[in-house]
Amino acid sequence: MTVRREKAERLADEELMPLIGAKDPEAFEVFYDRHGGVAYSLAYRIVGERAAAEDVTQEAFISIWRSGARFDRARGSVRSWMLSIVRNRAIDALRSRAGKAPKLTFDDDAILEQRPAEELTEEEAMKHETAAEVRGALGTLPGEQSKVLELAYFGGFSQSEISRMLGVPLGTVKGRMRLGLEKIRGELAEGLA
Amino acid sequence: MTDIDHDRWREDVAAYLLGALEPEAAAALERHAEGCEHCRAEIRWLTPALDALPESVEQLAPPRDLRERLMAEVRFEAEPADAPGAEPAAAGLFARASAWLRELGSGPMGLRPVVGFAAAVLVVAAVAGFAIGGGLGSGEDGETSTIVAGEAPGVTAKMVSEGDGGTLHLANVKQLPSDRVLEAWVQRDGEVEPVEALFVPDREGRASTELPDMDGVEVVMVTKEPSGGSATPTGEPLISVEVPQ
Repeated sequence: MTVRREKAERLADEELMPLIGAKDPEAFEVFYDRHGGVAYSLAYRIVGERAAAEDVTQEAFISIWRSGARFDRARGSVRSWMLSIVRNRAIDALRSRAGKAPKLTFDDDAILEQRPAEELTEEEAMKHETAAEVRGALGTLPGEQSKVLELAYFGGFSQSEISRMLGVPLGTVKGRMRLGLEKIRGELAEGLA
Repeated sequence: MTDIDHDRWREDVAAYLLGALEPEAAAALERHAEGCEHCRAEIRWLTPALDALPESVEQLAPPRDLRERLMAEVRFEAEPADAPGAEPAAAGLFARASAWLRELGSGPMGLRPVVGFAAAVLVVAAVAGFAIGGGLGSGEDGETSTIVAGEAPGVTAKMVSEGDGGTLHLANVKQLPSDRVLEAWVQRDGEVEPVEALFVPDREGRASTELPDMDGVEVVMVTKEPSGGSATPTGEPLISVEVPQ
């Protein structure tokens, strides 16, 4: 291990970012080793296929390497910023794969067949249910709340699309999203108490 | 602003954080929040819940070669533009690999080496100090093998072919300095030309590269080159493989 690598490992993410912005490969390597796993896992959760998840992760990290200096710590943690980049690219990949503007209908089955995201949220959620319950707060939510959160966050659907998909009023979707996030937030706060 | 007005904005905060607000509505909320401490506080309060969502997914180990590809690209781009052997970043490894993969007909994202080639056809063992002994010969089960000369003792190579192309897999390759990469070359009619992809060994000393066009190739070689690769080999081959015609 190089001295530069050892030094980089002792730095916090926020301290690594200026080095990455200055094109320091060792700093970037440490950054990837810290966050590559969760990034790849999130990408896989969204796109549902390993090769596509690799592409998304690679694109996201190269983007960070090229734009690391643009990180604004006032907008949150480096990890959250990185994961938002991964999420956005994964959703883009999902939409690209499903067609530029998939036609949404009021037929749930037709929508689910058109959109791989939905397939993922339904099937993968079942597949990974145990891990999700252990690791995350989604598993603790009522099904109707977790579903809208999953469709929005992991599926990339807008609230209007979700409203049409589920056949419920827009206000109901908004309410479920708010209640879902508030419950997760409350549990996080309890965990810290 | 009335309480009813404010509740309307507050109701949108969760959808906004989840990226589920339509762009116009999201922009409107952002404008409103600039002057509304209540909404900013709501956003701040709910943000940790949003951050928990990606952490809730089942954690998977990323493929090892993803890291190697990333770091090869990063090290290439980190090189000063005027360094020997360096190319402009836009024409870097990433672009070269992407162009090459597009030629192979991979998807639009085109950043991942093509995988999944068919059965192994050629198996080659490299042992330093041995002269090439008659090229490759057919084995009983359809595989062919030979012993070839190389500068790296213990390096072994396996070539998997399909159609007009193939994949060269090396094993027991020593780790490279951060400013060096592996580059493959093919020889046709006595002329040596580079393969349009650079690669590096992983921590276990394994390294692979695609050979998209094996038509007429007489010899496949691998050399160590500066990051970004070279137009012609700058050193002795790490491994050299004769291809039966």
